[in-house]
Amino acid sequence: MIDFQNFTEYFKQLPIILKIIWVLIFLLSISILGLILYLKKLRINLRANEKKFVKFQKIYEEILINYLYAGDEENKISTEQEKLINKIKREIKSKFKRNIIISVMSKLIDDISGEMADSIILFYFETGLINHSLKKLKSNKWNIVASGIKELAQFKVTDVNDEIIKHIKHPNREVRNEAQLYLVGLFHFKGLEFLDNFKTPLSEWDQIQLLETLQNFDNQEIPNISPWLKSENHSVVKFALKLARIYNQFDVIDTLLELLKHENQEIRVQAINVLGYFQDTNSKDFLKNNFVNASEEEQIAFFKLLENSADSNDETFILEHIKSDVFEIKLAAFKILKINNFEKFQEVKLIMEDEQCIEIVKFLENN
Amino acid sequence: MKKIVLAEDNSTLSLLLKFRLEKDGYQVLIAEDGKKAIELIEEHDPHLILSDIMMPYISGLEVISHVRNKLKKQMPIIVFSAAGQEEMVLKAFNLGANDFMGKPFSPNELVIRVKRLLSI
Repeated sequence: MIDFQNFTEYFKQLPIILKIIWVLIFLLSISILGLILYLKKLRINLRANEKKFVKFQKIYEEILINYLYAGDEENKISTEQEKLINKIKREIKSKFKRNIIISVMSKLIDDISGEMADSIILFYFETGLINHSLKKLKSNKWNIVASGIKELAQFKVTDVNDEIIKHIKHPNREVRNEAQLYLVGLFHFKGLEFLDNFKTPLSEWDQIQLLETLQNFDNQEIPNISPWLKSENHSVVKFALKLARIYNQFDVIDTLLELLKHENQEIRVQAINVLGYFQDTNSKDFLKNNFVNASEEEQIAFFKLLENSADSNDETFILEHIKSDVFEIKLAAFKILKINNFEKFQEVKLIMEDEQCIEIVKFLENN
Repeated sequence: MKKIVLAEDNSTLSLLLKFRLEKDGYQVLIAEDGKKAIELIEEHDPHLILSDIMMPYISGLEVISHVRNKLKKQMPIIVFSAAGQEEMVLKAFNLGANDFMGKPFSPNELVIRVKRLLSI
């Protein structure tokens, strides 16, 4: 008590600045203590939730597996399965439990196929989980909408595509990505129709995911990609160029030739690469005439194209650039010369003084 | 009863396969990662190994290598792989895997392959 009185008297005598410092120290100490207690509580809750999650995950895994093996050949759904479905119907009223059930089913549907996969899809419909996924589409939070679309795609709900297509232009990238994967995952190449009027950028990651999804299908019959190659959306053009190459779309060569004059450099380079892959010869004259004005990337891409399609008519052009300042062009020029006219290659080799050219020749002679 | 070690980090899939294989009279020991798989293999000397390629701590490829090169065991090994892991599958075959199944796969088809390999 005396100590406290002494402290208050001492405090009163202090200059104002020190009083403020003391008050700040006191307030900060209280805040730190409060924060520590809050973090501790948060950690305890998280651990408890994790334990609860694991516990319920095990329960639902067992229920799901029992359901899968409880089918009989006479009925679409056996009596035993009916009981398990009713049990889950009661459980999914809790959001926490519903999320666990969905995560268990998602884990399995991704890894198995055949009758069991069909049976899981039936379970998703019969338990009413589909209604919760559909409700998610109406959410204001982008992550909820994205997870709803993902669930509908995983459980192959095809008849809601009109609802999903509304999200194809969603301001959030993740939602757009899930909507694209839904359309392509369930409707294959037909699902790519959204590209016809697609204005937002299709990121490199989006493109990779779409291509990966498309490769999983047996039917590889691709629609006409020319309209996408002519799209005003540069990312759609780049994606269509990838499709042209992967699915050997020789029919679009004329459109590819038009792309050599495209305003976007990346597209021009990618178009040259695809033409090179197709061993096209019609583009050579245009690219030669335009070579001086072309960017370095285009020049390199053109020499790569020539590696696949050069003939004797190209020799003068190749010799003109054999001393190019660009290493890739020099290397390609020597490679082409070695393959198409070995005598000329030997002749040129002797008059080369540039150190880099000598190294290239040595490398090509040994490989 | 023939013993099978199943190394798979997807617990639901493990449980499903365990249930299916036990129905056909096999004893199934589950490992949720490669490290546990090696422990189970060393302890139980199974007749067959089912292993996912991508697993925590020790991959399926390391499990195969350990079985073939360190333990010098020749029991059949079936690997599971997701789409796009073709190179991994080739590595698995080079290391000594006998068969592979790409995910998603049919559990019934897996059982047929297990029976075929165990009857040889």
